[in-house]
Amino acid sequence: MTDVLVDPEALREQVRSKYREVATDPHGRFHFHTGRPLAARLGYAMTLVEALPDRAVESFAGVGNPFSMRRLEPGERIVDIGSGAGFDSFIAADQVGPAGSVVGVDMTTEMLEKSTETAAAMGAGNVEFRTGLAEALPVEDGWADAVISNGVINLCADKRAVLNEIWRVLRPGGWLQFADIANGRPVPTEALRDIDLWTS
Amino acid sequence: MLEEVGFVDLTVGPAADTFGGAGGEPNARAYEVYGYAFLARRP
Repeated sequence: MTDVLVDPEALREQVRSKYREVATDPHGRFHFHTGRPLAARLGYAMTLVEALPDRAVESFAGVGNPFSMRRLEPGERIVDIGSGAGFDSFIAADQVGPAGSVVGVDMTTEMLEKSTETAAAMGAGNVEFRTGLAEALPVEDGWADAVISNGVINLCADKRAVLNEIWRVLRPGGWLQFADIANGRPVPTEALRDIDLWTS
Repeated sequence: MLEEVGFVDLTVGPAADTFGGAGGEPNARAYEVYGYAFLARRP
């Protein structure tokens, strides 16, 4: 039986549409929290969050804290899958320091424009953003010491393909540290096949 | 699925009430949806 319940490209377009809104209208009405209140809710170190400019935080729409169980080490190379407007990438860049490197990957043009402009404004020289898909990361084999992600894998139709791709870009011994949602009660199959429900 | 792909040392953090107070709270409550941090390693 296949793990893929919906058309991957149709789902990607739905996700792009939703997160285009989050990029361009971050204070709009969404079914999830955003920005600094969400970061506080999820237990981020607020001294660092408060030091970030508004545009680095306002479009944050994660579901957990990928740094809560392992702090990144100085000098590490990090891939952030679904980097959005860059919030977690900027947290990662602070933790790995100037000797480290962070590559954020996203598929939504408006998010990439926002994160790239914010990195330039911040003078963050150890973080860059690339266009790409979670299932086809624009990163060479074994490059990363750690892969982070936040609320993204649940929005991918083929999760096994994403995990295989993460495996490819991680060096042996590298870490996968991500946050995502999980349900305690089963969701009916018909609901899982309804693409409109994936982002609502 | 993480272990099927080959990851080891899987650890799952405590639940976060990600959707509490947000518009998505009713659906989240209906299916007990919470946010979690996951940590795993490529051997």
